[in-house]
Amino acid sequence: MYPVAIKEPGLKGTIEHFFKRTYKEIHAVQDVSFEIQPGEIVGFLGANGAGKTTTLKMLTGLIHPSAGSVTVAGHIPFRRESAFLRKITLVMGQKQQLIWDLPAMDSLQINAAVYGLSDRAAQARIDELADMLSLQGKLTQPVRKLSLGERMKAELLAALLHEPQVLFLDEPTLGLDVNAQVAVREFLREYNQRFNATILLTSHYMADITALCDRVLMIHQGKLIYDGSLDGLIEQFAPCREVHVELAYAYHKAKLQQYGDVQSIDGSSVRYLVKPELLTKTVSQLLADLEVVDLAVSDPPIEEIIGRVFQVGQVH
Amino acid sequence: MKLASNPFSKYFQLIRLFWSTAISAELEYRMNFIFSALTSLGGLAGSLFGLFLFYGQGYHFQGWSWEEALIVVGIFTFLKGFSTAFLAANLNRIVKHVERGTLDFVLLKPISSQFWLSFHSMSLWGLPDILFGLFIVLYAGIKLKLSWTSYLSGLIPILFGATILYSLWFILGATSVWFTRIYNITEVLKGLMDAGRFPMVAYPVSYQVFFTFIVPVAFLTTVPAEALLGRANPSWIIGSGCLAIALLWFSNQFWRFALRFYTSASS
Amino acid sequence: MKRLYKIFQTLLSTYYAYMLEYRAELLLWALSGCLPIILMGVWTQAAQGGAFALTSAQFARYFLAIFLCRQLTVVWVIWEFEREIVEGKLAFRLLQPLDPVWHHVWSHIGERFARLPFIAVIIGLFILLYPSAFWIPDAGTLALFILVSICAFALQFLIQYTFAMFAFWTEKASAIQELWFLFHLFLSGSIAPLEVFPPGVRQVVEFLPFPYILHFPASILTGLPVDYLRSFLIMGSWAGIFYAINRYLWRKGLKQFSGMGA
Repeated sequence: MYPVAIKEPGLKGTIEHFFKRTYKEIHAVQDVSFEIQPGEIVGFLGANGAGKTTTLKMLTGLIHPSAGSVTVAGHIPFRRESAFLRKITLVMGQKQQLIWDLPAMDSLQINAAVYGLSDRAAQARIDELADMLSLQGKLTQPVRKLSLGERMKAELLAALLHEPQVLFLDEPTLGLDVNAQVAVREFLREYNQRFNATILLTSHYMADITALCDRVLMIHQGKLIYDGSLDGLIEQFAPCREVHVELAYAYHKAKLQQYGDVQSIDGSSVRYLVKPELLTKTVSQLLADLEVVDLAVSDPPIEEIIGRVFQVGQVH
Repeated sequence: MKLASNPFSKYFQLIRLFWSTAISAELEYRMNFIFSALTSLGGLAGSLFGLFLFYGQGYHFQGWSWEEALIVVGIFTFLKGFSTAFLAANLNRIVKHVERGTLDFVLLKPISSQFWLSFHSMSLWGLPDILFGLFIVLYAGIKLKLSWTSYLSGLIPILFGATILYSLWFILGATSVWFTRIYNITEVLKGLMDAGRFPMVAYPVSYQVFFTFIVPVAFLTTVPAEALLGRANPSWIIGSGCLAIALLWFSNQFWRFALRFYTSASS
Repeated sequence: MKRLYKIFQTLLSTYYAYMLEYRAELLLWALSGCLPIILMGVWTQAAQGGAFALTSAQFARYFLAIFLCRQLTVVWVIWEFEREIVEGKLAFRLLQPLDPVWHHVWSHIGERFARLPFIAVIIGLFILLYPSAFWIPDAGTLALFILVSICAFALQFLIQYTFAMFAFWTEKASAIQELWFLFHLFLSGSIAPLEVFPPGVRQVVEFLPFPYILHFPASILTGLPVDYLRSFLIMGSWAGIFYAINRYLWRKGLKQFSGMGA
């Protein structure tokens, strides 16, 4: 729970704000309970501001929960004991910890010293991870000269140098191109298998979640609304199928809406989301009333399902 | 808001827009305002104390009484406020733009890039220094029984001084095209400007040459103060005007020249 | 102990390398500290015309020493700390088993080494400008000067790091520092040696921490009379006071930091 100052837009609002501030208490997260087994990869879903990052910060001990208890790897995170800190790591896609103007190697040496690794152990570890991340030769270049993808991989290397058992990853693929996303994803999968590390990750890219996570937690407005397999989530929402119709010409929107939940209209191309029990009826009505050139039925893309969960706020 | 077609009123409207957003951004930090007023007051007290250390012991700068030297301090404080309010924020921004490659956006705008970069921001925090500076000049002026024509004749060289200061600052900012990270270059100029606290005769000859011909601090405070006291040699004021116009012209040419070397940062 | 030594060694060498990347900035920064050189001009000129406590040559030496001390005691930790809080980088540092302050301490020390060549050049210029005022202090004085400069740097760092703690609560803690800096500027002896202050003012100022950061080491180097015992006592007391406040605010601040959503 934390206070946030509220400001009206415009100059008038600014001046009022200057003299008199209105605060609003905000509960970042409430009633979030879950347990994660060692070696699991768990995806953390939620719209922006749903409380994902807050939860991650509570798990790493940066934030003290105002109520309730948190245990990670047998420690209470907020005490930030040395033994605990050596077991965990936090990676944030939008924040850097490598020193920008120096080669990544220099930052790695600092981390090695801070975590008390011997030179030999550190070198072996760096070689191993650089090999897994195909970063050989990149670590001696200044960080600013690296591509975005290489930089993220170097960040991962720095964060994993001390062989943490629990990885907290906040948007690790943010802003990366598709190839780099795939590379990071594959690395995480391999790392998880090789070291039996536990991974908790948040991502805006559903591809990250589908590729990596057997289990997902969904948070909405600070509340945990779903905990289970990804397939289960889709199944519970699958009651929707997507009907894609190519029409001979563009119809009026009001007319099209008579047949069901219009997802999008693009000229003469229309997409509906339809519940399975209504599927036959809707399709036959469409075919009867409108001049249909082509019609296809499919599962809607996973982003849309998730988007609908966020809109509705609960899983049926 | 619609922008007028007349280029002058268009630029004027732009300045108004720029500054009102800059002011609302600054008012977000209300403690800062109190601190900056306190800081200005403290700075002024310090300047006066520094001057007092000379005059308190019966020493005086050749040809300058205590009140006359105060006028120099007043103009110095005023110019310091002027540079905080109008120069510092804008020109540090040039460096930031070059470093991050966002200068591209500025260059693509259909108005003079020098105008955009010079007027984009203004800071209220310079206001206390401006007011205190004027107050000191006025106080010393009343003590010296100056007439209103004296103030008027001081106004012109102060305008020249402000133009010189702006031009120097902009030229230094423009060098960031080559050297990228040089936030400190404005600090060097600020450091050298400190020489303007005292009239030029207070310095040894080698310093006087340096501060007249290499870094023209003499034109910022000493010349306007002498004009205000009605004893400036007209050739100094004409010189000041020529220097101001020449530097302003040069700053524009230099900026165009620098842009030829601008390679927008890739990331 | 061995682990700490290893950490410090790595931090120092990394931050030294980092600072060397900023050579151009460092040169400009060294130049921007030219106020003592300007004042040297005014005071040497004044000493020729008026009756002051120091001679013209003494003024020249004093201000060169002040220039040197300013270069050695420059601290900017509050701006770094503020940025780390705003950008959320403090979170990473807190997750490492090492007090984050050491990163700042060693980056300052690394910078000192990177700055040495520029300082040497400027001292060379001084010899050209005032050949008659140049002097070579004896080894004992030099050793004492270095020791006191280290203490002065430590005190300056401690004070600013204490103000930096306010960044946990306010958006712009550096405003406090800027206000403090004014007192530092006028009372530390950088605009004039304390010897030319009115005696009453001087007595008060000598109980404040300011003169011990610049005037004390500069006096040692120039050979002005110094009360060592008293100076060290006052310096030590201020360091103790700021250390206590610092640790208290650090603990309070961390609590606040974790409450605000890190």
